[in-house]
Amino acid sequence: MTSMQTRATAAIAAVVLAGAMSACGSDDDKSSAGGANTKQTVKVGGLFDLSGPTADVSTPYSEGVKGFVKDYNERGDGPRIELTAEDYKYDVAVAERLYSRYKADGVVAVQGWGTGDTEALRGKVTADRLPFMSASYAETLTDPKQTPFNFVAATSYSDQMRLALEWVGEEAQGAEVASFHHDSPFGESPQEAGKAKAKVLGLGFKTYAMPAEATDYVPQLRRAKAQGAKFVVIQNVSTPAAQLAKNIDEQGLDMKIVCLNWCGDELFVELAGKAADGAVGVLPFGPTSVEADGLAPPREFLAKNGGNLDKEGLHYVQGWYTMALMAEGIKRAADQGKVTGDAIRQALEAMDAFDTGGVSAPVDFTAQSHAGMKGSKLYEVKDGKWAKLTDLASVS
Amino acid sequence: MASATGVYHTSYRADLALRHTRAEYFRLALALATIAALPFVVSPYWLTVLNQIGIAIIGAIGLNLLVGFTGQISLGQGGFLAVGAYTSGLLAARAGLPFGLDVACAMLVTAAMGTLFGLPALRLKGLYLAIATLASQQIILWVVTHWDAVTGGTSALVVPPAELLGWQIYGDMAWYWVIAFCAGVATLAATNLMRTGIGRAFVAIRDHDVAASVIGVDPFRYKLLAFFISSAFVGLAGALTARYNLIVTWERFTLDVSILYLAMIIVGGLGSVAGAIYGAAFMIAVPVWIEELSRSLSSLAFLQPDLPAIQQLIPGLTIVLSLVFEPRGIARIWQRIKDYFRLWPFRH
Amino acid sequence: METFIQLTVNGLSNGAILALAALGFVLIYKATGVINFAQGEFLLIAGFVIWFMLVVVGVPWLVGIAVAVLVGIALGLVIERLVLRPMVGEPVISVIMVTIGLSAVLGAIVQIIWGTRPRAFPDFIPSGTVQLFGATVAQNRLWALGIVAVALAGFGLFYTRSREGIAMRAVADDQQAALAQGISVRRTFAVAWALAGVSAVFGGALIANLIGVSGAISSFGLLVFPVVILGGLDSVPGAVVGGAIVGLLTSYVGGYIGGGLETVIPYMALLAILLVKPYGLFGQLRIERV
Repeated sequence: MTSMQTRATAAIAAVVLAGAMSACGSDDDKSSAGGANTKQTVKVGGLFDLSGPTADVSTPYSEGVKGFVKDYNERGDGPRIELTAEDYKYDVAVAERLYSRYKADGVVAVQGWGTGDTEALRGKVTADRLPFMSASYAETLTDPKQTPFNFVAATSYSDQMRLALEWVGEEAQGAEVASFHHDSPFGESPQEAGKAKAKVLGLGFKTYAMPAEATDYVPQLRRAKAQGAKFVVIQNVSTPAAQLAKNIDEQGLDMKIVCLNWCGDELFVELAGKAADGAVGVLPFGPTSVEADGLAPPREFLAKNGGNLDKEGLHYVQGWYTMALMAEGIKRAADQGKVTGDAIRQALEAMDAFDTGGVSAPVDFTAQSHAGMKGSKLYEVKDGKWAKLTDLASVS
Repeated sequence: MASATGVYHTSYRADLALRHTRAEYFRLALALATIAALPFVVSPYWLTVLNQIGIAIIGAIGLNLLVGFTGQISLGQGGFLAVGAYTSGLLAARAGLPFGLDVACAMLVTAAMGTLFGLPALRLKGLYLAIATLASQQIILWVVTHWDAVTGGTSALVVPPAELLGWQIYGDMAWYWVIAFCAGVATLAATNLMRTGIGRAFVAIRDHDVAASVIGVDPFRYKLLAFFISSAFVGLAGALTARYNLIVTWERFTLDVSILYLAMIIVGGLGSVAGAIYGAAFMIAVPVWIEELSRSLSSLAFLQPDLPAIQQLIPGLTIVLSLVFEPRGIARIWQRIKDYFRLWPFRH
Repeated sequence: METFIQLTVNGLSNGAILALAALGFVLIYKATGVINFAQGEFLLIAGFVIWFMLVVVGVPWLVGIAVAVLVGIALGLVIERLVLRPMVGEPVISVIMVTIGLSAVLGAIVQIIWGTRPRAFPDFIPSGTVQLFGATVAQNRLWALGIVAVALAGFGLFYTRSREGIAMRAVADDQQAALAQGISVRRTFAVAWALAGVSAVFGGALIANLIGVSGAISSFGLLVFPVVILGGLDSVPGAVVGGAIVGLLTSYVGGYIGGGLETVIPYMALLAILLVKPYGLFGQLRIERV
């Protein structure tokens, strides 16, 4: 063997050995230090996408979740929450591994992120009886008979679609609606509800898939134009939605945009520029540009720690309050006795409506429905910022 | 490559044997003992990891048969895993097929699909074939997400727990034995395959298919056979994924997975069954080790915001460095380590 | 009729951008026989560098482009020297894997430096629209077509008229013979990678102008594969034709059929064409020698 090969072999062998050693070591010893010794410590697992395809929105969301936990522990409102937040890069296999570790660590609840991990783990959380909240608002997760341990904190995609169509119906009777969506199960999620609601309201409704690697959506817009669509509902994330908005603007099409929650954020406005003006959004969690009492706690916390809520954006608030909801359930379960997954679930279901201080509709889970919010406010883009359009609209 | 001295075969049977020396038998026994003991020693987290490694081993062996032994570059691994998983899942969930039967059907269906998408291999070589298989990956994934009638494209497919002879296979521990058994069978099958005429035909095609055809190896037949057999292995891996995780979602079968499997066999060592095993274990264990490492580093606050990106960086860096320093992979490194000890104090 | 014209213009301009992005592939493959899976990340880095120079540092766009070109050249040279040089003579698949690993590394480095949040790209290409044969076309598309035409003409001239270009073709044809002629193969490789870096700057700028600066640029790199394979891996005009075909197909299918089929059509077309022409439409037929 040449000397370089020897060295290379030795180096790689050393790395492998070191890794094996670290693996055979014991599990982390996260001692619950600090605080009054009468306080219990409760472990919560967190799965976020910090470097994968949805990292741009998951990062502020995860910061919101982490920020809330830190703030909550400082205030000492309830049992101390120990959050283990990990990046699963939107890789389902990694999510499953991390879940297995969390389970072994003894978490009582899990904060997930997207459709990928929520779907992959829903069978497991049901079997392991661990409450699971995430930012995937698919309606299929709201039925306790199917998924008794999944809680959907915000208005489901289907409900958002219904609200959007109701607003369209009030604006223009019998109008044609073009429903643009991400070409995936996430995008398809509210389409059936949309078709049904449109029929009831007497609106025209056609769906258009937005292909993933497209640089523009002009072909799809031409078909929408042929349909005579005057309203475009978008179930997609901000970057493609902004591209669509710009295309609509360029082509001079007379179409009003209605964003569902994932393109209703500051990023959409920033990327679309002037094309975003006048866009309407169904935002279950209000933007930071519209004042609400509920924005004060995260704002203060961030200011204390050298951050800025307006820079973080509404996804921070989204994460904050989703975690706040879970913390409320944990606190109530602790008041009743031992904190277990079942106890938290019962506490969440028994809870009265959770008030987020005007940031969103009050969140209420029942034993019949895990859809937390039954409505949302609508917002409109004015002068490069989201502004309030309507008061709280409930799904009828 | 040095082999043991003093080994003298007096029959074909002895020549073809998988293990020749006492040292080799000893290592084999050690490996088997470790596999048997592991599930009782490691934490539940690592048990999940081991199960994922086990399934990956089966898939990697299959891919290695195609890429390493027959020289047909394939980027369609994710798609074929999807075919195996959905077939098995659908048969179990909708048709109520028992555990072994649905896996067998999944293997057949995947093998058939593999042969179909392997047809371009008859005309295409090298990078053109690689991209044609990329096309197959994208097409299969598209069908899986859009063919509602069969796959229920929009929502995940829930699979009932597996039952074998009345015993319900549930939980990591139970599955460990099933997966280890399947992986063992796969390893043995692949090793034996390479000892037969078919295996030698594969290698001949890899080395020079025109010359192979001159000596009577029909490239058409053997290329398609390679796709068929390789896809059967991959179908097994896919079916196990479905039954083990109890849910089938399309996100686990993207192009990234195809690339991961390619990385496994290349970093492990192309053209060697052991290489596929090392590579599978390595490519799954490295991100896990990095997670452990970053958790202990998380106290260093200045690294905090960059940790996810660093976690992303290291596997890529590992691939690049390992290929630059040892292009023939871990199997070669292990071989050199063995040679070093066997030949010590001589160099060669 | 108006729809058809619109879709055609749209498809052609998208195809032009794809062709420009694909150019980097073809350049490297023609000279070195390596397929660079990291080309998407080259585009990404170029986009970020330009954005950084124009928005954060605040220089006029010519300076920004110049800096990006320098970065592109440096990137190409460094990668060629450190990563590809040791891989000379290794099997094709190992080299592919190295470039795949490299793409992960580069993507992670971009994330470490600039984070994951998408940024709006400053409009240095005018963003209005024009009317062309009754169809509304965005100006940046026409600019894209123009820039691609210039780039391709430039490379065409480079390969046929300049010494370096002819040297590159010689090396691609037969390395030993080229060496015997006194052509430095090492230098040719380095030049090829540097040029790929430069073409990435223009491709990246155009793409970033359309979809903003984010990780999505590198996934755009994936669509380039059907383009180069369709056209033939070692043919510059092939990349153009491949780009046009993919662009037009996606546009027509999206405009007339829809349903998400436009995502998968380029791959199906790819398979169909490869079955008839196994080296792509314009690729060089490999003559087998026993």
